[in-house]
Amino acid sequence: MSAAPATIAEAPPGLPTARQVRTHLRRARRRHHDHSLGDVLGDAYVVVLFVGMYGWFAVSASRDVLVSPTVGRADPGVRWWLAVAALLAGAGLAWRGLRALGPLLVTPATQSWVTSAPVDRRAWLTPRLGVLLAGAAAGTALLAVAVAVLSGVTDLGAVGWAAAAGAGWGAAALALSVVAQSSRSGRRWPTVVGAAPMVAAAVVATVVVIAGRLGDAPPRPAALPTGALVAVGVPLAVLGTVLAVRALPRVDRATLTTGAQFANAAATATILLDPSMLTSLVESRRWRRIGRVRSRRFLPGPAWWALLQADVRRLRRHPSALLIWAGLIGVQYAAALALPGLAGATQVVFAYFATDRLTGGLRAVSRSPGLRRALGGSDAALRGIHVVVPAVGAALWWLLTLPSLPTLDAGPTWLAPTLAVGVVAAAWRAGTRPPINYGGATVNTPFGMIPVDLLRQGSRGPALLAVLVLVQLFLG
Amino acid sequence: MTVDALSVRGLSRNFGNLVVLDDVSFTLAAGRIAVVLGPNGSGKTTLLRCVVGADRPDAGEVLVQGRRADETDPQVRALVAAALDDIDFFPDLSVVEHLELVAYAHGGDAEPVEEVLAELGLEPARDQLPVTLSSGQRRRLALASCFVRPRRVLILDEPEQRLDVRGRQWLADRLRRERDAGTAVLLASHDPELIDAVVDERIEIGR
Repeated sequence: MSAAPATIAEAPPGLPTARQVRTHLRRARRRHHDHSLGDVLGDAYVVVLFVGMYGWFAVSASRDVLVSPTVGRADPGVRWWLAVAALLAGAGLAWRGLRALGPLLVTPATQSWVTSAPVDRRAWLTPRLGVLLAGAAAGTALLAVAVAVLSGVTDLGAVGWAAAAGAGWGAAALALSVVAQSSRSGRRWPTVVGAAPMVAAAVVATVVVIAGRLGDAPPRPAALPTGALVAVGVPLAVLGTVLAVRALPRVDRATLTTGAQFANAAATATILLDPSMLTSLVESRRWRRIGRVRSRRFLPGPAWWALLQADVRRLRRHPSALLIWAGLIGVQYAAALALPGLAGATQVVFAYFATDRLTGGLRAVSRSPGLRRALGGSDAALRGIHVVVPAVGAALWWLLTLPSLPTLDAGPTWLAPTLAVGVVAAAWRAGTRPPINYGGATVNTPFGMIPVDLLRQGSRGPALLAVLVLVQLFLG
Repeated sequence: MTVDALSVRGLSRNFGNLVVLDDVSFTLAAGRIAVVLGPNGSGKTTLLRCVVGADRPDAGEVLVQGRRADETDPQVRALVAAALDDIDFFPDLSVVEHLELVAYAHGGDAEPVEEVLAELGLEPARDQLPVTLSSGQRRRLALASCFVRPRRVLILDEPEQRLDVRGRQWLADRLRRERDAGTAVLLASHDPELIDAVVDERIEIGR
């Protein structure tokens, strides 16, 4: 017996509403697990407690550091304007994150079995938009409160205005990113919206660093411009929300599922404490955007020479790594002005990040035994060749940032070269990290049971970096 | 004048500066079966993904029954059924619940579900969760999702993959019945027996 193919000419009139489909799905899923409302509220309580407790600890600790005698000797104007630049850069990065996520997304299963049906898309996505708007507004309000407290605001009214400004701008960004998600490919305004704060941050930071080093820093404004930020941000949030709701029917499958892949990789990376799951997705998307390259023969020579050329070629095809490497030089100069007492420590940290950007080849050969077999030679030799580019990059970066250090922070003569070599070693350790093994002994932590091996491997690289920072702080 | 069930006009898709699809055009009438042919990497799956709306083409358009195939249009989603390789499953729903959900979301009832389960040999697995299914059973479930709902156009990406001999015979028979019912079928396949048995038109790309 076989089912006769059902056919239609138009969408049938008796379609269930999105709410009905959602209820149908929820009922079917509830049959197979017993999550009660109490469980959900319990989980939410733990998250709120965690964020509140550790968030407040981070804010108060940062405030103590900022007012400490060693760090607090920075010019208040320089520090204020560099904080503005940092916030602008953060806003640009947040916009990019929202665009990468969607921000509206559906799971691949929902796409396959629900939203591929003629369910009203606006009705299906509206609750998600509501949750996202509320989350964005709450998150950015908390962030704004933290910034206000860090900048020395104690008046409750002023903190409230800062929260309102943060909530307004957060909701506006979220709503506008939904509008961008619904727009056809090739539209330039989402790119411009993302690039504008980054460019502004670069300009502000450059001007302040130059002026600061010349001893002519711009003054700090008398008060935070929260009133103006609320006056612009809140109406923008309302307008953006109206536009986003209107745009919901145009959010297509391609963008809904692309973001889901990213979110899934991010969630898995967080749960398994393995960022490589997210970075490999980002990397594969980056290479996919490039698509095709001009292949050229390697210059003749021994095997190591060809491998070295390949590593350099990889870097030339990934210019954003070089841009970040160069951008971190500017960040170090800014950090040295804003936190003069910590300039040596920030140099170590940013040198690590800059060097890590150059370890693509090292990571590729280290994570794939098959690739190493195909290339031939010993593992040590292969890894050794792929550390040449990061080492040269680290040395150059270190030399270029030496003038950022106040003379007070110079320390013993052997310290700087030792730290630079240590940075390369930390990048080497992170780049040669083996795949994480989730078996073996576990340890009970405030975050639950975690395999010891996971902690050991996860800290490979960053642990050495922490030691280097401590050495610099004590001896620098 | 008859309207083609599916028209693809000047479809192009690039990944960076790599041209995957270059100005692809074809039409497919109702009750016809067409296969997309081409070597590995020629863009067969990308073409099907663009037709379904899972990927955005850089240029060109797709028409379904004469109307622009915008994936956000519920009418288009009601007309086009597809089984691509990106299908995923709810880990906590059984086989039969997946199919009932699709049927319900398309405004139908569970009536065709039992028939399709029997036809695809999924009856013994009807209450199993997806994680317990073999890759062949998952493939059958993906195909079943197309047959419990109304459709005018059917898009299948290498439907013969992971099917055993009996499964492939069933597939050929099923595609013939789809054609007889007036459904336009567009598939990508590397199986010469299936192609010779059912296909009316061949669309070659990437040569």
